[in-house]
Amino acid sequence: MRDAGYTPPRHGPPPPPSVAMRLFSVWMRHARVYADSLFANATPAVLEPLLLLLAVGVGVGRYISAEFNGLPYREFMAAGILGMTALYTAAFEATHATFVRLRYQRAYDSMLNSPITPRDVFLGELLWCATKGLFYTTIVAVVLAVAGAVSSGWIVLAPVAGFVTALAFGGLGFLVTSVVSNISQFQFFFTAGLTPMVFFSGLMFPVQELPTPLREIAFATPMFHVIETFRLLTSGPAHASASWTWVSPFVVLLTALVLGSWGVRRMERRLVR
Amino acid sequence: MMDVGAERDVNDAPVVAARGVVKRFGDLTAVDGVDLQIRPGTCYALLGPNGAGKSTLSRIIGGVSPCDDGDVHVFGMDPWEHQVEVKTRLGVVPQEDGLDEELDVLRNLHVYGLFFGLRGVAFRERAAQLLEFMELSGRETTRVVALSGGMRRRLSIARGLLSDPEMMILDEPTTGLDPQVRHAIWAALRRLRARGLTSLLTTHYMEEAAQLADTVGILHRGRLVAEDAPDALIREHLPAHVVETEIAGGAAHGSGRTTERPSRDACDASDASAADAPEGALVERYGDRLFVFHDDRETLLAWAAQHGGGRTLARAASLEDVFLKLTGRSLDA
Ligand SMILES: Nc1ncnc2c1ncn2[C@@H]1O[C@H](COP(=O)(O)OP(=O)(O)O)[C@@H](O)[C@H]1O
Ligand SMILES: [Mg+2]
Repeated sequence: MRDAGYTPPRHGPPPPPSVAMRLFSVWMRHARVYADSLFANATPAVLEPLLLLLAVGVGVGRYISAEFNGLPYREFMAAGILGMTALYTAAFEATHATFVRLRYQRAYDSMLNSPITPRDVFLGELLWCATKGLFYTTIVAVVLAVAGAVSSGWIVLAPVAGFVTALAFGGLGFLVTSVVSNISQFQFFFTAGLTPMVFFSGLMFPVQELPTPLREIAFATPMFHVIETFRLLTSGPAHASASWTWVSPFVVLLTALVLGSWGVRRMERRLVR
Repeated sequence: MMDVGAERDVNDAPVVAARGVVKRFGDLTAVDGVDLQIRPGTCYALLGPNGAGKSTLSRIIGGVSPCDDGDVHVFGMDPWEHQVEVKTRLGVVPQEDGLDEELDVLRNLHVYGLFFGLRGVAFRERAAQLLEFMELSGRETTRVVALSGGMRRRLSIARGLLSDPEMMILDEPTTGLDPQVRHAIWAALRRLRARGLTSLLTTHYMEEAAQLADTVGILHRGRLVAEDAPDALIREHLPAHVVETEIAGGAAHGSGRTTERPSRDACDASDASAADAPEGALVERYGDRLFVFHDDRETLLAWAAQHGGGRTLARAASLEDVFLKLTGRSLDA
């Protein structure tokens, strides 16, 4: 090999990178890999919720003359579509994508050989999940606003809600990934866990009209509070499902903190061998 | 904290000092009480068959994996407790490179440099230097998937050097490469060593250890069974010369089964060829090959002329002979 003037350091050890630098660098790695195939990556994530709006919101909605929560059907659905976008984006990133990086790409092993700690790896990953949640929620919110499914100025906070929602479901995804040994097991989480939760938490119909105890079960899911939060943003407090749902944004925030930190810890334990 | 890097010339404190290191995976003890030291500016080769615990031990030293028992100091610090500080000063070339296949060469380096806080002009200069050093100039925009195995490994080495490390850990850096690439990589590693870079190298190629290392430690089933300079190891464990030959009537002993363990008792007692061996010889048998070691070459040659079977070869005893003697012929630990 050619001699290109490599000399080992003479001036003592370099300063270790700060926590902020380390988290940023992990985030940046994901952003780089993602940006390299942005179009292929972003299309399904945005297309799916919009198809739902078209098929159900507009298609089925035409035959529904009743108002839900005092809203035309299309606008009633907007909140659920936003919540669903953030949820699936984060859940996918923290399960399938994380598993692939862990098992097949060995991306985390590379990080661990650098000053990145196991905690940095998953905090950075979770931040990346949340960033994607924010990104897609923003795109979908713009489209919904253009389509006339938004009537409140609070919608400008949709990116924040998307970020926090993605933190919560990214954390939940980590909890699942930390116990999974085979990539096909995620299917169970999606079809038996997330899908029923999404459909029974106010995406397509007002859950407060369900009979007890289904109603209470729905109120207890994090997704109900996510959708309720988004409805505050799309349509304002007058269209809340219950008088007490002003707490929903706080429930979402708390869920994000609890699931996020728990999920990161569990993944750390899985990574360290 | 010892400042090994800055005062390499005057301070001879070991860069790595490990005592009684133990690592268990469930019932399996992958590293079983290893003591080792690496002095500044030297290359230490961990030589061992697959599964001996080489990667596990280098991950412990590299601050990637905690050990279950014993203590390890790297640059005077516990590499697990102080992993950020220690890893900032290490350059690692792992067995499985974990490069981002969809990213090009320069982006891979950029992503990795950021993990160390390296960016901007400092990064660009360093990357250009290293790409030239590893003969990858002009490949900046090639995606990693499109690189040959040899180029990929060179990129992995360049990546390990990116942060200007004081010590490198190279886990089987030439496994699976063709001889040309292997020799080119050895040349690069020798050049780095000549400039005072400390390194820990794991390998199962004897020649690699003999060519690069100041000290060789033979790791077998998680234990360090021998440790010394390469030629001293040979002197300590074997006579200087060897004749290898096919065993007479080898078929009767199940010849050709390379997984068969060496059995000196069997050779000494019942093997007719072994019984003929000259006075003072050491006889080993691996599969269908007989190895007769002796300090006097003439005696051996005379013996070989009389008793040698097919494919007889006379040569100096090598590290490989020591390795086989200490770890047996089996391919797994
Ligand atoms: N994460 C792990 N979990 C369980 N067993 C492991 C793990 N890593 C390594 N081992 C086992 O420890 C032993 C030593 O492995 P390793 O250090 O990779 O050996 P080498 O690098 O010398 O080939 C092997 O038996 C291997 O199967
Ligand atoms: Mg290995």
